[in-house]
Amino acid sequence: MTAKKPITILILLVCQYILAQHDSIVPLREVTVSDALLRKFSQTQSVAVLNDSVIAKNAASLTALLNYNAPIYFKENGLGMVSSPSFRGTTAQQTAVIWNGININSQLNGLTDFNTITTGNFDAILVRAGGGSAIYGSSAIGGSVHLGNVLRFNDQFSNALRVNYGSFNTLGVDYNLRASNEKVSAQLGLSRNSSENDYEYLDTNGKHNENGQFYNTSVNADFGVKLNNSNYIKFYTQLFEGERHFSGTIASKSKSKYQDLNTRNLLEWNSFLGKFTSKVKVAFLSERYKYFENAKTELFERSTAETVIGKYDLSYAIDTKITANLIVDYTQTKGFGQQIGENVRSIGAASFLWRHDALRWFGYEISLRKETTSNYESPFLFAVGARFNVLKSYSVLVNASRNFRIPTFNDLYWQGLGNAHLKPESSYQLEIGQRYQRKNTWASATLYYIDISDMIQWAPDENSGNWTPSNVAEVQSYGAEFSVGWTKKIGQHTIDWKTNYGYTISEDKALKQQLIYVPVNKSTTNVAYAYRKFTASYQYLFVGQVYTPSQKFHTVKSYQVSNLGIDYDFGKVNTYRIGLLASNFLNENYQSVLQRPMPGRNYTIRLTLKF
Amino acid sequence: MKIKFAFAAIAGAVLFAACSDDDAVQPNKYVPLGKYDSGVLVLNQGGFGHDDASMSYISFDFSKLENDIFSLANPEVVLGDTAQDICFYGPYAYVVLNGSNKIEIVNRYTLKTVGTIDTGLSNPRYMAVYNGKGYVTNWGDGVDTTDDYVAVINLATRSITANIPVIEGPERILEYNGKLYVAQTGGYGYGNKISVIKTSDNSVTTITVGDVPNAMQIKDGYLWVSYGGKPSFATSETSGGLVQINTNTNAVNHTYPYSGTTTHPSNLVIDGEFAYYTIDSGVYKFALGAASLPTTPAFSTTDQGVYGVYSFAVKQGHIYVGDAVDYVNNGKVHVYSLGTGLGQAPLGTLENSYTVGVIPAGFYFNF
Repeated sequence: MTAKKPITILILLVCQYILAQHDSIVPLREVTVSDALLRKFSQTQSVAVLNDSVIAKNAASLTALLNYNAPIYFKENGLGMVSSPSFRGTTAQQTAVIWNGININSQLNGLTDFNTITTGNFDAILVRAGGGSAIYGSSAIGGSVHLGNVLRFNDQFSNALRVNYGSFNTLGVDYNLRASNEKVSAQLGLSRNSSENDYEYLDTNGKHNENGQFYNTSVNADFGVKLNNSNYIKFYTQLFEGERHFSGTIASKSKSKYQDLNTRNLLEWNSFLGKFTSKVKVAFLSERYKYFENAKTELFERSTAETVIGKYDLSYAIDTKITANLIVDYTQTKGFGQQIGENVRSIGAASFLWRHDALRWFGYEISLRKETTSNYESPFLFAVGARFNVLKSYSVLVNASRNFRIPTFNDLYWQGLGNAHLKPESSYQLEIGQRYQRKNTWASATLYYIDISDMIQWAPDENSGNWTPSNVAEVQSYGAEFSVGWTKKIGQHTIDWKTNYGYTISEDKALKQQLIYVPVNKSTTNVAYAYRKFTASYQYLFVGQVYTPSQKFHTVKSYQVSNLGIDYDFGKVNTYRIGLLASNFLNENYQSVLQRPMPGRNYTIRLTLKF
Repeated sequence: MKIKFAFAAIAGAVLFAACSDDDAVQPNKYVPLGKYDSGVLVLNQGGFGHDDASMSYISFDFSKLENDIFSLANPEVVLGDTAQDICFYGPYAYVVLNGSNKIEIVNRYTLKTVGTIDTGLSNPRYMAVYNGKGYVTNWGDGVDTTDDYVAVINLATRSITANIPVIEGPERILEYNGKLYVAQTGGYGYGNKISVIKTSDNSVTTITVGDVPNAMQIKDGYLWVSYGGKPSFATSETSGGLVQINTNTNAVNHTYPYSGTTTHPSNLVIDGEFAYYTIDSGVYKFALGAASLPTTPAFSTTDQGVYGVYSFAVKQGHIYVGDAVDYVNNGKVHVYSLGTGLGQAPLGTLENSYTVGVIPAGFYFNF
């Protein structure tokens, strides 16, 4: 965590820590961060911050970063392939991904493939556990993952270049430029990742991960202008283009490939007028995939969705203790493709958010949201939370919310099979958390209960036998999350330790059995030791057994993966760091998804230059 | 030839028991050729992408069910993904695995694997054998409507020697008199033809039948085809029916259509002088030569919870119904009386039920 980046001080720790800096930090964050609501209205839930130094230590994909640093479970179809999250035992469509305050989950299938997000493009990635639909809309049921860029208005000109090269001809290049002064701020990020990805399947007589090669390129450019002390114009844009060959299973080769092209654009005008903060935002998002059943041919299936969002957010700081926000937004999505025809969906919504730091030891927040659309009836969404700072070092957080996930274009419009009468999935959630924070040590424990109804499932229809979606399943998910951290500095030695553990029961109420691909146990540990310019780090991941839909194999067994890295910085003023990473150095033979092995021991050389 | 031997054994059991008590010869005692002789092999498709295709065995006397028999015989080998068809030839069973693009060759009585054909197949579906050659229908890439073919396999060398191009979506294949009849269901679209391939020169002609021909049978020199019509999720739904084709002239001799647009017969089997087929959960019986198809089923399988018969067979006085249930959990096989045997229970009487693997896709009678 570097002091240079105010966003990274965020909520990780405890409320009073932030409250103490309330006056000075808020305006600064309002200026530098697009997703200001995240900090303002998440004081009664747990939010973990992964700053750029954590991002740099992990592999380039969002899957790898969160798998080793958050309690979220990932189901990954082999390294680099389609990767979907399960947050607090919920489905892949029940985790929202928020880019600079804008929900970017696919309109076509409802989820974000975490292997199509390159982490190097972001200044901070935050993981907000628990319901967030009242602020972020659809999919924020299990939790949300926030990708943020920061635009600062100070004199700065800096370059950062990271190059990784390793086993399976895996190359990652990440370049970042920042240039700013009092009036103008600009940031440019370029990333390129590619891999032959032809790793050996352990214990299979030399089978390899055939047809698993991939590449992706992403460009991120942000630009801000300070018109005067109270008016700012900012523009964020991002492009991700990638091609993955989809690898097969142990017994079945694959010849398919998949191309993604996603663009995200956000223009905003922020005005700070006394106690009022006014934000006008216009966003344009596009997503397009092409699926080639045979990578060698030019024949493909494609679908595209284009979304325009208009948003007005007016915040009023009644006094230093009370903030109220009124937000109205309008979203129009056009989806088209061979299988879904051409359809347009428009959603209008109004939200009201209220935060009151009533007492030094007590504060509460309320979020309300209602959407309207022609397709279905939207539930009234809310979140109510309170914090109790019982002791200086100990606090209790309570939060209750109602959240939802809207049907996707595939669910609604798939040719001949989609169900235009689907309702959104909706959930009630209750959580209680405790935090302990001392100088070098912190710990948190959260208990949660989620009740989800009207879950959309594709299954054969009772009458026609056709495979079609309907609102059938009722699921309850409950569990506990524990997190502990400890930092110690003795002379030039620093030790940093962090462990997460999640216990998750997620069961279909009718079947009374754990959902597939939801482990009961997941744990991660990161330990780093630094002496002067030398750093050694150790990562550990434990994922418990998961059930699979296969009646023959039933489960994927639990696995433990350990990574070991060493780095040395040769720089005096600038950073010239070189390092070596041994991933899965105990050579664990494991699968995330049935019959799709993950790589054994492999190596990466990494180089970081900052100048 | 083995069928003849089995018959001889049964006949012998009667004859020899009657006129001879010579224990030394015992030609009446049939020695099984392996654990899985004298029973039906059930091919379970498995879940798409799960690599969990499997096979089950039900003995002809219905006393024995054994699941996952391929894995029992070959613990180190994964059979593959999305099993589609089995073809017997000599001592071998050729298991066509659609998702794995391969054919696993096993000893049909022991299930021990003896080889694999895994090059040259693209979305393989069904297989027939004639004159030492295997003929396998292939969709090619699903989205490509012009790359469909029938692969010709030299069964001695287990290699593909030729590809015969056919129109889109070749599905079931049947050999009669040196000619191959291929039901063109249409792949991702909807076909309405039967391709006829002369094995002498691999030339192809087509016969137009009804929409989505799904099963074929030969009876007294005629090819009978059940066609399902276009399903309810197609842009325009159509009803199916039966077609009778003269195999000498390739001309349609008679069509037996269902009226309306919502009746979708499939799974045609001819046994004796009757045709049996299914519509949804109903089993229909049609006397060959009757003027029109029955509009009510001979019996229904709904009491067993079947809402769409997935696979179907008629053999030795029994009707076998494969129920895919929800396509996710293990499927069921129900055995009903055909009602034709002496002293047998009436048609449609449930005799046995078994839980097999995921999506029981076909029955293969092993003797």
